[in-house]
Amino acid sequence: MSNRNETWIALHRLMLATRELDRVIGAADGHWHPALGEEAVVAGCYHGLRQGDALVPHYRGMIAASYARGGDLARLLAGLEGKATSYTRGRYRSDVCGPIEFGIIGLYSGALGPTLEYAAGAALAAKLDARGGVALAVFGDGTASRGNFHEALNLAAVLCLPVVFVCQNNQFAISTSSAREHGGRIVDRAAGFGVPGQLVDGNDVVAVHDAVQGAIARARRGEGPALIDAFTYRVGGHMASDPGNYRSSEEVEKWKARDPIALHEARLLSEGVLDAAKIAELRAAVSAEVEAAMRKAQSDPMPGPEVLGLDRVFAGGV
Amino acid sequence: MARQTMQQAVVAGIAEEMRRDAGVFIMGLDIGQFGGPLNSCKGLWEEFGAARVIDTPISEGGIVGAGVGAALMGKRPIVDIMFLEYLGLVLQQLGCDGGAMHYYSDGKARVPLVVRAKFGVGPYHGHAYDYHAWVAHLPGIKVAMPSNARDAKGMVKAAIRDDNPVLFLEHMGLYHGTRDEIPEGDIVVPLGEAKLVRAGRDVTVVAIGAMVRRAQLAGEALAEEGVEIEILDLRCIVPLDKERILSSVAKTGRMVVVSEAMKFCGSGAEIAAMVAEEGFRFLKAPIGRVATPNVPIPFARNLEKMIIPDENAIAAGVRRAMATG
Repeated sequence: MSNRNETWIALHRLMLATRELDRVIGAADGHWHPALGEEAVVAGCYHGLRQGDALVPHYRGMIAASYARGGDLARLLAGLEGKATSYTRGRYRSDVCGPIEFGIIGLYSGALGPTLEYAAGAALAAKLDARGGVALAVFGDGTASRGNFHEALNLAAVLCLPVVFVCQNNQFAISTSSAREHGGRIVDRAAGFGVPGQLVDGNDVVAVHDAVQGAIARARRGEGPALIDAFTYRVGGHMASDPGNYRSSEEVEKWKARDPIALHEARLLSEGVLDAAKIAELRAAVSAEVEAAMRKAQSDPMPGPEVLGLDRVFAGGV
Repeated sequence: MARQTMQQAVVAGIAEEMRRDAGVFIMGLDIGQFGGPLNSCKGLWEEFGAARVIDTPISEGGIVGAGVGAALMGKRPIVDIMFLEYLGLVLQQLGCDGGAMHYYSDGKARVPLVVRAKFGVGPYHGHAYDYHAWVAHLPGIKVAMPSNARDAKGMVKAAIRDDNPVLFLEHMGLYHGTRDEIPEGDIVVPLGEAKLVRAGRDVTVVAIGAMVRRAQLAGEALAEEGVEIEILDLRCIVPLDKERILSSVAKTGRMVVVSEAMKFCGSGAEIAAMVAEEGFRFLKAPIGRVATPNVPIPFARNLEKMIIPDENAIAAGVRRAMATG
């Protein structure tokens, strides 16, 4: 199989996993933030990073990002309720913060934006080491309104840091639409910082992946940061329990018709990468994997008091 | 043995650590060829170059955030935010996120980051605010405030070697003032150890930063009245050297906590409460606090002087403690 076909299948697999995670977790937890309709951005960004690269994902897609980096799905799902088997043994939540041992810098508070600065710092560390490492930061269109976005991009630009910023632009910040969130397009802000900006179809996983990989390769060559505006649509609610009554059903239906998984499946078929039977097989396998991981996670125990570690708040203990 | 100011001692400590460990670097505003405000980085750019002494835009949140990110990737960044007045701009990155990462990651993340900030009333008019209590309240961050050049060198070296975020506070009133004898060699002052700067039997005076010298002056005046105070230089608010405070109060039976920071919910309140909880049996008199009232620091020098504790205010606090038990 060619490299291209392998990549396309891996991208499809990760999109399917993202959707299955939404289905299975969303049924169990009304506070879950689904990435329904945004799977192409999730998979296109998180597939194909190198060991040693820093990944700073958006919260919407964090579990999929952690899984793509090698995290065990059952342990990641155990982190939804802070089970003892989760990567932090219950000290923190996996839905917004992936395991640091996989090179992931997640959200250590609910504040959106500072992670873009952490990504710039991780890129600065890579630059000081001159090892060709990069950082990839993904964030929502709402986050682009924060000062952190501007400070991180400006800092990365003036220090020529190897970092790629991708806006997972689903056109909504909870209920606030892009029209009320942004003056102008996010991609156009790149020019203000003197960095390349690229608008991509966020429902086309290959387009997203190629753009991200292109920007990463450029960053690895020492040519500095880039901003990608991956334009998509949040088909689901902000949370699984959000009815989304602040927008028209016509608008939602229009975007549903451009379902990223269906689009890529059609490509896999038409290009002869996978036949219908193989596609069905892949779907079934991913679904079974996610369901089994969720069953395992739900039966895992809650942490005991030994996890509290009141004397382990500081490294080295205090 | 060299005689150095606090500014020289801090820079010398940083330079030694940068020579010792290639992972140490410093970034901030105007710290390169300009040498940093008040010469806070003088000579570092010349020795280590622009790759490790990094001039940045006016972007305090951005550079402290970048410091957190670089620290997570194994570096030992020092970020100079100029003045503690800007602490509000970096609280999310330093305090809410940076302080929590080690614990939240179940001990796997480390954030060996030093944030330097100047503050305090003194010859440099403005930027006086002492906001350290904001950070002392947050889990996972150490707060260091040296009172003299020797400690400043030893403590900045300890801060750089520490695997936790450290807010390192440099008092402008002490910065270019008296010189101390700095011993040759690798002096490291562990964070969290208070220092006995004057022994006495009557009242324990807990002070930090510029208040230490003022407490010493008060001690000299009080000695003439027959009152012997014992002065502890806390050196760090976090970790707090509870043992040394309690053992001193066990001896004297009285305590006055002196702080340049505002009184209400200040770290002096925490120290007083700790002694009330854990050392009540030692106390012969109510605990006293001598601190700045809760008011934005006024600009005119005479107004500023009226609200910051001086040796007279400290001596008055001690006399109150002596009179009430």
